[in-house]
Amino acid sequence: MRRIVIRRLAQIIPLIFAVIVLNFVLIHLAPGSLFDVMTSEQQVTDPAMLDQLRRTYGVDQPTWVQLAKYIWSVMRLDLGFSYRQNAPVLHVIMEQLPATVILMLAATTIALLVGITAGVLASVKVNTIWDNLISFGAVFFFAAPSFWLGIMMTVLFAVKLGWFPVGGMRTIGSDHGAFADALDVMSHLVLPATALGLFYAATYARVMRASMLEVFRLDFVRTARAKGLSSGRVVLGHVMRNALLPIVTLLGLQLGTMLGGSVVIEAVFSWPGIGSLLFDSVMSRNFPMVLGVLVLGSLLVAVCNATVDLLYMRLDPRIRVR
Amino acid sequence: MGSFSRREFLMTSTGAALASRFVGTAAAATSPKHGGTLTATWGGFEPQSLFVPAGGGSSPYFTSTKVHERLLRLTADLKFEPVLALDIKPAEDFRSYTIKLRDKVTWHDGKPFTADDIVFCAMNYWKPVSAGVSLDALEGAEAIDPLTVVLKFKGPVPEFFLKSVLAGKSGLVIPKHIYAGSNIITNPINNTPIGTGPFKVKEWVRGSHVEYLRNESYWNPGLPYLDRLVIRWWRDPASRSAAFEAGQLDIGTFNPIPIPDIARLTKGGKVVAETKGYSNSAWVATVEFNQRREIFKKREVRQALMHAIDRQFISDTIFFGRARPSIGAVHSSNSIFFTKEVQDYPFDVKKAAALLDAAGYPLKGGSRFKLSLVSAGWFEENVKMGQYVKQAFEDIDIAVDLSVPDRATSLKRIYTDYDYDVAISNNSGSIELIPSTTQYYTTDGIVKGAAFRNATGYSNPKLDEIVAKMTVETDEPKRIALAKDFDRLASVEAPILPMVDLEPVTIARADVRSHSTTADFMGESWAEIWLDR
Repeated sequence: MRRIVIRRLAQIIPLIFAVIVLNFVLIHLAPGSLFDVMTSEQQVTDPAMLDQLRRTYGVDQPTWVQLAKYIWSVMRLDLGFSYRQNAPVLHVIMEQLPATVILMLAATTIALLVGITAGVLASVKVNTIWDNLISFGAVFFFAAPSFWLGIMMTVLFAVKLGWFPVGGMRTIGSDHGAFADALDVMSHLVLPATALGLFYAATYARVMRASMLEVFRLDFVRTARAKGLSSGRVVLGHVMRNALLPIVTLLGLQLGTMLGGSVVIEAVFSWPGIGSLLFDSVMSRNFPMVLGVLVLGSLLVAVCNATVDLLYMRLDPRIRVR
Repeated sequence: MGSFSRREFLMTSTGAALASRFVGTAAAATSPKHGGTLTATWGGFEPQSLFVPAGGGSSPYFTSTKVHERLLRLTADLKFEPVLALDIKPAEDFRSYTIKLRDKVTWHDGKPFTADDIVFCAMNYWKPVSAGVSLDALEGAEAIDPLTVVLKFKGPVPEFFLKSVLAGKSGLVIPKHIYAGSNIITNPINNTPIGTGPFKVKEWVRGSHVEYLRNESYWNPGLPYLDRLVIRWWRDPASRSAAFEAGQLDIGTFNPIPIPDIARLTKGGKVVAETKGYSNSAWVATVEFNQRREIFKKREVRQALMHAIDRQFISDTIFFGRARPSIGAVHSSNSIFFTKEVQDYPFDVKKAAALLDAAGYPLKGGSRFKLSLVSAGWFEENVKMGQYVKQAFEDIDIAVDLSVPDRATSLKRIYTDYDYDVAISNNSGSIELIPSTTQYYTTDGIVKGAAFRNATGYSNPKLDEIVAKMTVETDEPKRIALAKDFDRLASVEAPILPMVDLEPVTIARADVRSHSTTADFMGESWAEIWLDR
């Protein structure tokens, strides 16, 4: 248990190093630089001023020096300063990261709940109308682009029915205490989390169904039935628990993709997360911000993956640390 | 009101509020009402910082102008009105101007606003940071008494020109006691600016919105009408449409929603579309021909390509009618300097082909020549315009290599590396043509790496001379005549010309009153806007 945690944490260091080097190179290969974007936006033309800005942004030095300096500052847990936002990188990210984490957690919960329930239902009622309906739903939500789904849900639930707000995370200006605030955030969260979660729920439903059907055929299930257990206990206690492993694998893999998928959902629902920050930063070649988001993002994914590994051991005692 | 929603019902739970909603659409009240919260947005994204001293584009301009005021403002009928200045008078020789300031104005932190602030702005902010070449001639600023400032210039400065600078994007008045001794560009206060304006910044939630509260000690008693102003950002135009429909958004400037949605939203009369309020920030889509290429040094080639583009088609199909074919180099909404007496380029494929034949580029081996077309990908319409112009050029047998790079790459290719043959770009010009329009044509507009200037490398002493005369001509009618000379020459030479004049639209709920009243409403303080509900 401790060994796996330590090993995972040790793996994070080279991972982050690779993330920095790779993305630093990529963003420097893209034409145009933060310097170009900033000076053109600010209409700076005076050569002395341009030189001064070059020094301020640190782009007067060779690229490898910039990279080495960046790695050195990350090692000291300093993500640098963003001249575009006129604020420290970590400060800007920390203002927006919680929103993304909340959205990811909510979407994952919805994906798991809906996906597993649908998968179990489809496998129990295999080859019936229920099974077909669930399969149809899964294909639909997997194929529908999430931005389209987001807009359609907004039109139906926010504009026509008026059940939920159109976007944002909080009702601006409301201040009625922590409980009311939590309720408020939740009502804003429903649509984006559902739009993001249903895509993943579709995969989970299909995988869960297949995995359940496979476990149903195994001997221990027949034994359980022979013992006279109710079909409910067989399904939930024996089949489902064993069928969950592939879902957990998928979950671990998809946490990273979800961070990427939330960029689109955040745009549609104007959710104040880091998705739009990352997008803007890439567009303006603001590499300290891009790298900051990616470093923290990879940390988040690495921690999630370590948690998933621990979850494996809990679900299947046969898995041991080798 | 059949689609009265549950949420709206919950939000307006009192009967009185319900009743007023029904009455609101029936008759327009004449006297402004106090109170309420206005939720606003614009057709772009969140600013990088609430105030970007050197400019930074429309988004920070939108957020900072609610806090920072200017000395003057330009009304919709192009008259200068006093804001922080009561009066600005030129000397006999137009080499100095005396500015009388408004009394009893305070900054948001309670400190008094005085002539020292204007001296500081003129010498430490406007001239070196925001206005650039516009204030090249400014030699000094002096506070005569706490409410009088004299600006001194090297040569004569036309009155309309100076007032345009002071009322324009670069003329924001910032507090000396906060900025003195610091680097204005990187001062952290720029994220929570302090000004003299009608609204104070309460909170900026990054990624979501900025909230402003009414400035209770605003110099104009009774203003602003609103208690609260919220500027929110949606990244997706369709989401902005939905927000209008759900009643969560009151006003959006600069094309907030997809153009095809406008008709649907305005049909019920609850939402209106307004095209006024953009004349001092008039947008165009331009086509420019790189003079560093042998082919485009020939005027006939540039003229031929202008004839090959069907600009009515661009207006009708790509902009859904929210644009007009441009005439000359000056935007048609510019009622002072615009003239129709310029060289025009009606769509004429035969004439284009004949001009190219005459210029020595006949059809041989399948095409006349090959060019690289760069369409700056910052607007969605530029993607379509690039595709259309490519086809239009191919119709006169020119092989076209089209690329539509993203913002940073477009800036670099067009304005830094000059890596294009023909480029499609945009710019917004003020009523005053110097320098926002002229710098695309003059030799001193060629500054490598500085965007939105002369990127074609075109240089014509005759044109430079006209603009130089305009810079110092203080007689208004003579100056207008010079501007028309400039426009005529630019349109004949065609190193770069606007293809279409864009017509941006403001979308607002019908109960939002007194908006779009000035020449650049997005950058107005919005003190007079009120809610009829």
